[in-house]
Amino acid sequence: MKNVKSANFWQIDHKVKNILQVKGVIVSSSPVAWEKFYWTRKYFEKKPKEGYFVWIKKQVNFPLSTCITIASPKIYQNLRNLLVIEKNIKAKANVVCNAKENFLYGKHFAKGKLILKQGSFLVYNHVHKWGEKDFVSPDYQFILEKNSRLIYNYQNLFPPENLELKTTIFSGEKSSSNLNFLINGLNSKIRVKDAILLEGKNSQGIVKLRLVGRENSQILAQSIISANVPARGHLDCQGLLVDKTSKIALLPQLICRNKEAQITHEASIGKISEEELTYLRMRGLTEKEAIDLIVSGFLKK
Amino acid sequence: MKNILLKIEKLKAEGDSKEILKGINLRIKRGEIQALFGPNASGKSTLAQIISGNPKYKITGGKVFFEGKEITKLVPEKRVKLGIVLVWQSPPAVKGVKLSQLLEKISKGREFKIEEAKDFLEREINVDFSGGEKKISELLQVLSLNPKLVIFDEIDSGLDIKNLEKMTKIIKEKLVKNNISILLITHWGQILDFLKPNITNVILDGRIICKSKDYRKVLKTIKKYGYEKCKKCKFLAD
Repeated sequence: MKNVKSANFWQIDHKVKNILQVKGVIVSSSPVAWEKFYWTRKYFEKKPKEGYFVWIKKQVNFPLSTCITIASPKIYQNLRNLLVIEKNIKAKANVVCNAKENFLYGKHFAKGKLILKQGSFLVYNHVHKWGEKDFVSPDYQFILEKNSRLIYNYQNLFPPENLELKTTIFSGEKSSSNLNFLINGLNSKIRVKDAILLEGKNSQGIVKLRLVGRENSQILAQSIISANVPARGHLDCQGLLVDKTSKIALLPQLICRNKEAQITHEASIGKISEEELTYLRMRGLTEKEAIDLIVSGFLKK
Repeated sequence: MKNILLKIEKLKAEGDSKEILKGINLRIKRGEIQALFGPNASGKSTLAQIISGNPKYKITGGKVFFEGKEITKLVPEKRVKLGIVLVWQSPPAVKGVKLSQLLEKISKGREFKIEEAKDFLEREINVDFSGGEKKISELLQVLSLNPKLVIFDEIDSGLDIKNLEKMTKIIKEKLVKNNISILLITHWGQILDFLKPNITNVILDGRIICKSKDYRKVLKTIKKYGYEKCKKCKFLAD
């Protein structure tokens, strides 16, 4: 334990491959947490079969990492994950969910709850790398207590055939959340549903959604910000259609129930400019290289 | 014949179903500087884009050769590999991509430095670039591509006299000295005094109607009598 520089959890198919703990951070499988820590039961709806539990009790100065892998054909994962950060602690989590190979026809269902206690701060980097025939459905809820802060960065480097990504933020008083989603569609059907519920007075929430529709992809993104109290929210959705066989639908929704709340949004969908493409080809890049460069620029915007 | 780098024969082309080029003939030798002079909408920029392979235009007749090889239907990136590079009059912005990133991708280890470029290398390509910055950026990209023929589309537009002088100094040092051929497209003509072309062509309504070794004479005539005079000239090029 003395020289350990990270805390992590690694599951392959249904088996926990590795657990590494450091002082002040409890890491276990969710079924173990259910048995060992009675208080976790209010977060798990029922006794979990698999998944991870991370409880950050003390400040650590390195990132936490979790990795959930599908490595065998036709695996059906049904995970329940729980991450709890105690008061005033700052943490960073690098989370990878992936398939070891293409064409494993895996199913990855994950329900997660992430509890940010008063004054805590979490940077949550979530990366997906899936095979072409996988079905992936994560449903994460972030519960932000008073004065807590969340930065959630999601990116799917290799999209599965089907992705249903659901994210809900419950924002407590003076809490803030920044959600950055980079969604790539390629031979895939993707549904993104994110909601920031501004429930605490003077809470803030920003969503930045970047959607890229490559060949044979259909992306439907539903983004909601609602405010019941004086609060501020902003939604920034932009889609880029790269291929004529792709489709992007954006459904931004702003719900305001308090006259002192301010919620704004901007949304657009466009295609790659022929002029930019020709310009880069006249700099020696192939059409594919030029498209990749334009897309990488779009995702950085 | 080996000395001929670019040969264009009876080139006809259209854009948006409108005939723009109506039978262009042009030959450029290695190390030669030629100017293409003409009014707005005469087909200058279209010719530059077509030589560079812009798929937007439809070639309806004629052929283009480079170093003896026919390239009429070649895609733009392959033309760049052969050594044909275009400096755009109004290059588009590529948001989110730094100029240094593009240079790294296209230069393949070749390194060129232009002192004036260091301030905007880390900025997004052509996003909020001034006129002068755009031209320097274009020049830097061109040099990174190891060209044999560089087409400058209105490099003198949007530049004040000081910047024009600076630009032509770089062109002389990096291109002319290295025997790289140049096609200068202009409707202003001021740049010709700095680069002194071997041949000046006049294009009007999609046709090259005059070729002269004396650019001063061409400039003087057009300044005095306008392009209409060229139409009536008994020494018409075609």
